[in-house]
Amino acid sequence: MSDNYVPDQILGHADEADGIEEYDNRLPRWWLGLFLFTVAWSPVYAIHYHFIAHRSQAAEYEAEMAAAAERWPQMSAEDVAKMEVTEDVIAEGKAIYEANCVACHGADLHGGIGPDLTDSEWIHGGTRDDIIQTVTNGVADKGMPSWGPILGPEKVAKVAAFVHQAGGGQ
Amino acid sequence: MSVEPDAHRAQPRAVDYDDAIVKKFIVATLVFGVVGMLVGVILALQLAWWPANLGLEYTTFGRLRPLHTNAVIFAFTGNFIFAGIYYSIQRLLKTRLFSDALSNIHFWGWQLIILAAAISLPMGLTQGKEYAELIWPIDIAIAVIWVVFAINFFGTIAIRKVKHLYVAIWFYMSMVITIAVLHIVNSLAVPATLTRSYPIYAGMTDALVQWWYGHNAVGFLLTTPILGLMYYFLPKSVERPVFSYRLSIIHFWALIFLYIWAGPHHLLYSALPDWAQTLGMVFSVMLIAPSWGGMLNGLLTLRGAWDRLRTDPIVKFWAVAVTFYGMSTFEGPMMSVRAVNSLSHFTDWTIGHVHSGALGWVGMAAFAMTYWLVPKVWKTELYSVKAAGLHFWIATIGIVLYVVAMWAAGITQGLMWRALDDGGQLKYPAFLDTVLQLMPFYWIRLIGGLSYLTGMLMCCWNVIMTVKNAPAGDAAVQPAVAK
Repeated sequence: MSDNYVPDQILGHADEADGIEEYDNRLPRWWLGLFLFTVAWSPVYAIHYHFIAHRSQAAEYEAEMAAAAERWPQMSAEDVAKMEVTEDVIAEGKAIYEANCVACHGADLHGGIGPDLTDSEWIHGGTRDDIIQTVTNGVADKGMPSWGPILGPEKVAKVAAFVHQAGGGQ
Repeated sequence: MSVEPDAHRAQPRAVDYDDAIVKKFIVATLVFGVVGMLVGVILALQLAWWPANLGLEYTTFGRLRPLHTNAVIFAFTGNFIFAGIYYSIQRLLKTRLFSDALSNIHFWGWQLIILAAAISLPMGLTQGKEYAELIWPIDIAIAVIWVVFAINFFGTIAIRKVKHLYVAIWFYMSMVITIAVLHIVNSLAVPATLTRSYPIYAGMTDALVQWWYGHNAVGFLLTTPILGLMYYFLPKSVERPVFSYRLSIIHFWALIFLYIWAGPHHLLYSALPDWAQTLGMVFSVMLIAPSWGGMLNGLLTLRGAWDRLRTDPIVKFWAVAVTFYGMSTFEGPMMSVRAVNSLSHFTDWTIGHVHSGALGWVGMAAFAMTYWLVPKVWKTELYSVKAAGLHFWIATIGIVLYVVAMWAAGITQGLMWRALDDGGQLKYPAFLDTVLQLMPFYWIRLIGGLSYLTGMLMCCWNVIMTVKNAPAGDAAVQPAVAK
């Protein structure tokens, strides 16, 4: 760059711009630096993301799920099936019920938006396995969501154990 | 060599400029500004207090929301841009507009399109594409009227009396061409009935075309033409030379080249292939500097006029408009970064971002231009400079309330959605949990929106009083409808 640059020199187009004058100042250095930096960074990021780190949306999801499985180990389906219904399990099930189910089935299980869980009638079956199925898959027609993906098999089994006991299941 | 600015140089006015068309577009800008912002305030109320839905299908959020966005983007901003372009290109090119007939077809055609939108959207007639909701017959009308505008615009350039095209005109040209391409490509559909059609694209392709359109509607309707208007009206208002011609060329070409690729940032963490998501993200990051080039050229043109910042509301409006432009164009690229987007996407942060651009940049620029232009075309003085100054403060406080409330709401929402409990389950699985938490922010947003609308009404009153005081003969087009 020549050193005889003098800022704020009028360009002289004003007669062709309704009287608006323009200086021909240099690009602010920091602005040019910012621009060149983002332009240089972009291919570096893209190449690193795809070809060096081999990152992807799917890999990100799998990594998060793996980390969650390690931090919050889930009982296997077999363990859930073999789970013994103890006082502790019932108590945990009660807590799960209170956090998720009371809005529709009521704190005393007498129903409201959803059916009464204490009467003798079990619309979708009253065994513990039936209740696990109903909670897991929900009842779409009646507005009950599928809780399987939200609670996971262990919590479903525990809440079913609570409902089975407190509601007088078959 | 003299370094003194020479912006006062008198132009011999040999040409009979068409200012009647400019007046019409100004009136339409103000009318639809009030309508668009009023509907926005109603929507803000509905979100805070659901009975404002009124229990009528026509006034539910889903019907009114597209009415608000279309009214503000295409009616308020559209008419504002047309007013500014038609005023400035005649002066810059030293010629009357190419065709008075085309000017009037453009004006009335555009208003009819707005009327059709105002009827069809509350009726629930929609294509279901955001910012492109209007049904196919209206889409065709838009394309036709846009071509009329393009012929009038390029016709005026063709018959110009100067050789050099001032920077404002390059920005206008980028809008005229790009909006035509965006609108036509995104609206391609097979009509089934008079009110219903099916897009020719399916699935992810449809989404990608839609957001290529959606993002560049922001780029080429809410950004480039208004930068063009800034390059004309800002130096005119402060009577100072533009800071850098060189910067204007470089940021212009960089801006329009980079903008068009950034659309996929609306589809981060979707079914869009990873490589396309990366493309959207990096092109957004590269947009920071080209956008800031416009902000710098605006702010640095105000050098030497900073004393007027205390007294001249027009300078205040420009300074805040350009500052919000700089802020929004930093925020946007940040939100396009994957890690940030995973928190901000689908939250009210997005709503805050778009309003810092719409209220802060577009709106404030529109007011700056209006307060300068109305006295010029009606050949009088602004009725109340004091009221314009008050408008400035009410509007600025309104924007700050709005944007800060939405930042807080958006981040709260994003954090609640991803929060896990001790057992690794969602801590707030019910959407309602988050909504209840956002209520205070929704009320603050309503207050912000009401302030901004109040300012808009003050502007209308000021313009009406200005026009009333205009010398007879030049007050032919009174903004009577604005009452």
